Amino acid sequence: MTARGHRMLLPLAVLFAAAPLLAQTNDERIKQLEQRLDTLSQQVNDIRQELNQLRGTPPVPPPAATEDLTKVETVPSAPQPAAPAAAPSLTDVQTVNNVVNPGAAKVFNPDTSVIGNFLGRAGQTNRYEFPGSERPAMKLDEAEVGFQAFVDPYAKANFFISVTPEGAEVEEGYAQFIALPADLTAKAGKFKALFGKANTWHTHVRPWVDQPLVIHNLFGDEQFHGDGISVSKLFPNAFAVTEGTVEVFQGDTPDVFEHQAPNDLTYNGHLKLFKDISENSNIEVGGSYARGTIPAGHSSFGGVDVTYRWKPLEQGLYRGVIARFEGIVNRRDDADSRLRGFYTSLDYQLGQRWFTGVRLDSSDEAPQLAALEPGARDRGLSATLTFWPSEFSQLRGQLRRTRYGDVKAVNELLLQLQFSIGAHGAHSF
Amino acid sequence: MKHITLALLTIAIAATLNAAPLKVVTTIQDLASLTKEVGGDRVDVTAIARGYQDPHFVEPKPSFLLLLRNAQLLEVVGLELEIGWLPPLLDQSRNANIRPGTNGYLDLSHGVEILDRPAVVNRSMGDVHPMGNPHYWLDPANAVRIAIQIQQRLAELRPADAPFFAQRLNDFKLRINEANKRWLAEMAPYKGAKVVTYHNSWPNFARHFGLNVVGYVEPKPGVPPSPSHTFELIKMMKEQHVKVIAMEPYFDTKAPKSIANAVGGQVVILYPSAGGAKSGTDDYFQTIDTNIRSLIGALK
Repeated sequence: MTARGHRMLLPLAVLFAAAPLLAQTNDERIKQLEQRLDTLSQQVNDIRQELNQLRGTPPVPPPAATEDLTKVETVPSAPQPAAPAAAPSLTDVQTVNNVVNPGAAKVFNPDTSVIGNFLGRAGQTNRYEFPGSERPAMKLDEAEVGFQAFVDPYAKANFFISVTPEGAEVEEGYAQFIALPADLTAKAGKFKALFGKANTWHTHVRPWVDQPLVIHNLFGDEQFHGDGISVSKLFPNAFAVTEGTVEVFQGDTPDVFEHQAPNDLTYNGHLKLFKDISENSNIEVGGSYARGTIPAGHSSFGGVDVTYRWKPLEQGLYRGVIARFEGIVNRRDDADSRLRGFYTSLDYQLGQRWFTGVRLDSSDEAPQLAALEPGARDRGLSATLTFWPSEFSQLRGQLRRTRYGDVKAVNELLLQLQFSIGAHGAHSF
Repeated sequence: MKHITLALLTIAIAATLNAAPLKVVTTIQDLASLTKEVGGDRVDVTAIARGYQDPHFVEPKPSFLLLLRNAQLLEVVGLELEIGWLPPLLDQSRNANIRPGTNGYLDLSHGVEILDRPAVVNRSMGDVHPMGNPHYWLDPANAVRIAIQIQQRLAELRPADAPFFAQRLNDFKLRINEANKRWLAEMAPYKGAKVVTYHNSWPNFARHFGLNVVGYVEPKPGVPPSPSHTFELIKMMKEQHVKVIAMEPYFDTKAPKSIANAVGGQVVILYPSAGGAKSGTDDYFQTIDTNIRSLIGALK
């Protein structure tokens, strides 16, 4: 071997001698890197858990393939603070990092909703429904703003503000007492009287665009309402669900009652019987009586309402029938004869989002008109088709033919788009 | 002597009242089934919604008022499943002892694993539950978590019967654990199988049994199938070779069947709740049994 060869071997020998050392160094480095990776993974997991806790979201571990269900425990909905040591030394006490949730106070804000009622009209001009203010071709008729929340453990508050082109008005605003003894509930404030069925409905609950003629003529489109107190009692029995309601109002309701003395009050009573005929059908029968003052003395109303419902539970999303009848009689001291009216209707659910119905109306004219033209009677026939794009909007068309007294009949097409935002509490059955 | 007689009479009446089964009302039949597992004959359980009824849409009939009026414990699914019908019933029930925040009100969503909690939610996304998917009871592990919560509450309300409830809970755990081993073994060959469901009712069930839900017949929760969505769904199912559409008994089969025909697949009815069928879904065990049998039959 030449000297040149030795010179070449020397670095190779050094390289071979250093190789184990280098390998050892690399192994250690890999180990260190792995340890570092483990530490980082642990830190990421810790941060993720902390984030979940801050978001109030408990971590959801993937299920084991053979999960032992005897070991399953409930998932805490919020992280619990650790229990203090048996005898903590106060010298070891640390500050507590309480999570500040700036939105927490907002949970006390009431449920807020707005329901828009956009109306359209086509066909013959109707000069008789609202004399002097006929329905325009299209109009945002009303925005109902609702606020609902618990007041305290004993009561809920409900406010419904009706905003119309004429201005804003408290349509209903009352406290509802839900924790009374003796099967009682009560409400106090301004509300619609529990007289029959149609009188109690808000616009968005009605199965038609308009009010039935008997409600329009005898109570007015703002319905029988007032400032007062209502007490309802349940009478449990084996025959039917029986509920009685007594209401007292201060004596003024526009076009219905007018108090003559400060102590003149309006009284209303309602008795409801509800019976399940089968799992899929039921019937409800109600009777109402109201009495109050008018300039000429007293005015009293008697009413009966019957509602039959059929809804097959398994097909409940797609099919249903509701048949209704409601009759009202009004006796006034300033009129010789009683005013009477009724409506009867049938609504059928065609599909998940489609509904159709017909309504037959008959009613004596409003007291002011009836005084001018005794015996005059309005009659109407309507057909509706309703489409629900979703639970929160609906589109409705109503073909309506109305004969006002002896006047020629008016044919109209009423259109309605209702849309709601926010949380609007479900209405009673 | 009079005082002694009066005291004995009071004790006898109190004992009789305490011996009467606890009146429990549940919003769905699965909760009733699990309550019976834990409570045995010491509870008298009634469910409001039938198993074959969509629990989102229950009519708040006055006849339910009497049930709630007499209830000593009300068990709810929570997560706003019952928001459309339970609040007005509760308001009119005249029973302050079963209101939220009392011992007589048990929201079982508090102790279970919840899936599908949306970070952002608005109604353009359909009828989404903002606090998470409420169909959690279809995961057998959550059934155990539900049973534990029921046992804890029953023990609070009837301390004298606490050992009885604890014993029954343990028995239930052992039985459902055995059943679960069987269910998982039966489903093991189909782990990762792709299915389409009508509504997003099955995330917990699918997760537990390893199914892969790749699409829904509804374009958005609560929105009926549209032609364009149906077309897209058929295309996706063909591309991914998905042959099974699982749906609840209360939805219309027309659209799912036409989709299944288009892809050469089939529709299988799964019961999201006990009592969903006239037979084979009498309780929680039978319901999961029946669903697994039906699924395996379709996936084979």
